[in-house]
Amino acid sequence: MLYSIRLALKSLWFEKWIHMLTVVTIGVGLFVLGLVFFALYNIEGVASRLPERFSVTVFLSDRTGEREIDQLKARLSRDPIVESVKFISKDEALVELRSSLKDAAYILEGLDENPLFPSLEIRLKENGFDRKRVEALIDELRRLRSVDDVVYGEDLLGTIYTIRSGVKTLSAGVILLFSMAIVFVCYSTVKILFYRRKEEIEIFKLLGATRAFIRMPFLIEGGTLGFMGGLLGGAGTYGLYRFINGLVVTDFPMLGEMQLPLGLVAALPLGGAVLGIIGSTIALGRLKF
Amino acid sequence: MIGFKDVTRIYDNITALRKVSFGIEKGEFVYITGPSGAGKSTLLKLIYLAEKPDEGTISIAGWDTDTLKESSIPYLRRNIGVVFQDFKLLANRTVYDNIALALRIRGYGETEIKERVHDALKLVGLRHKTDSFPAALSGGEQQRITIARAIVGDPTVLLADEPTGNLDVDNAAGIMKIFKEINARGTTILIATHNRELFRNTGLRVLWFDSGNLVADEEG
Ligand SMILES: Nc1ncnc2c1ncn2[C@@H]1O[C@H](COP(=O)(O)OP(=O)(O)O)[C@@H](O)[C@H]1O
Ligand SMILES: [Mg+2]
Repeated sequence: MLYSIRLALKSLWFEKWIHMLTVVTIGVGLFVLGLVFFALYNIEGVASRLPERFSVTVFLSDRTGEREIDQLKARLSRDPIVESVKFISKDEALVELRSSLKDAAYILEGLDENPLFPSLEIRLKENGFDRKRVEALIDELRRLRSVDDVVYGEDLLGTIYTIRSGVKTLSAGVILLFSMAIVFVCYSTVKILFYRRKEEIEIFKLLGATRAFIRMPFLIEGGTLGFMGGLLGGAGTYGLYRFINGLVVTDFPMLGEMQLPLGLVAALPLGGAVLGIIGSTIALGRLKF
Repeated sequence: MIGFKDVTRIYDNITALRKVSFGIEKGEFVYITGPSGAGKSTLLKLIYLAEKPDEGTISIAGWDTDTLKESSIPYLRRNIGVVFQDFKLLANRTVYDNIALALRIRGYGETEIKERVHDALKLVGLRHKTDSFPAALSGGEQQRITIARAIVGDPTVLLADEPTGNLDVDNAAGIMKIFKEINARGTTILIATHNRELFRNTGLRVLWFDSGNLVADEEG
């Protein structure tokens, strides 16, 4: 084992140009992977933190009595997933609409009667958010006679979620493609090294070396290449993150919200090593004696 | 120790060996001879499993080619030291590392390797060349390094293919003396050579080949 590591290190040094090229290629590949994961992580993060996710509006029917409203309010306040409940009367709703229309408020002038509904605005607890329980609550509310309709913020975010799932699919594709590319790069490098050392390997075999003994240095080499590529890619990802955070935050506050999990930076070298070992294993194939 | 039973080896349409049968006991010193192309090298390659017989069975040190699994080949080869005709030394490694390789593949520790490599170099009289590279050595010296590598792992059998092939008489005599010493320790030795001078008046066993046939088995 120790000797295998020595052989691998020797070869890494001896063939340093080929290796440098491989490491840079793998590094670029893993950098792209890092960015994809980074983007995914943040889209996921942003989507889960969007305020709409935590609010439910319950439109009540016009004829709902005060007692009924109070009962409903009390029932909701007691619910463990509810943070707070606020009643908005027809009139308050109109005032709000007016103010949000601002200059265009005149379109409401001709109305003799308030066409809006009274509603309850529910804020959900952000801690321990559980969509299933929210949906159960909404179902329960919909069945009530006094409830006209329930609008859940997250449903309005349908498009965002569609985009998110699109991005996810795309990312999966990119991840698969780049992983395969990295495996292939390691595969070709190890294949080249293997052919360069063909004569040496022939002698190893004749002296009684086992398959594992012959293979080990190549696997260590492939793994090391992937690992170093991962360090490079991780450094690149981290560098870009710092760059965005340092310079662009003032212009795009949204970007300041982005986070780079350190686990991701650490995962790149490890992922690289795994991909490198896979590539080397394929390159070595079945050794014949 | 080594047994051939009706062994045939055919390359494309050339029959290198035809229905060859013989047995060699442990500790014997045997010459394989015959004109060029007789099948001497092929015979050695069959023993160190670089070739497979097309027909017949070869048994070596309790194993036989009928039942041998490919994964056992490395372990079987460790019982057989080979002095290759073309040496097969690694040009980018020192004498020390070339010889040590035979032990490293066996998983020996570096302390034991050092001791054994130095003993082997002493036997072939090249202690002072430990750190040289093969290219800096004469043909005779490279031959002796190859012998040192072949015996460093204490094999039960030593095979040598034309070990005096391109050496002068003095060098050849020196090499033969080394083989006798190794044989005296109990190692079985097979030497393939077309040079009759080597075994004349030695009183050793000689297997004569011609065109792939075993034509004579002269007991010493
Ligand atoms: N790899 C090979 N492919 C085809 N023919 C071979 C091969 N090796 C040996 N031969 C042929 O087999 C015969 C025996 O060769 P070899 O065993 O090398 O003879 P020797 O060592 O006695 O000179 C020769 O005719 C040679 O040309
Ligand atoms: Mg020959």
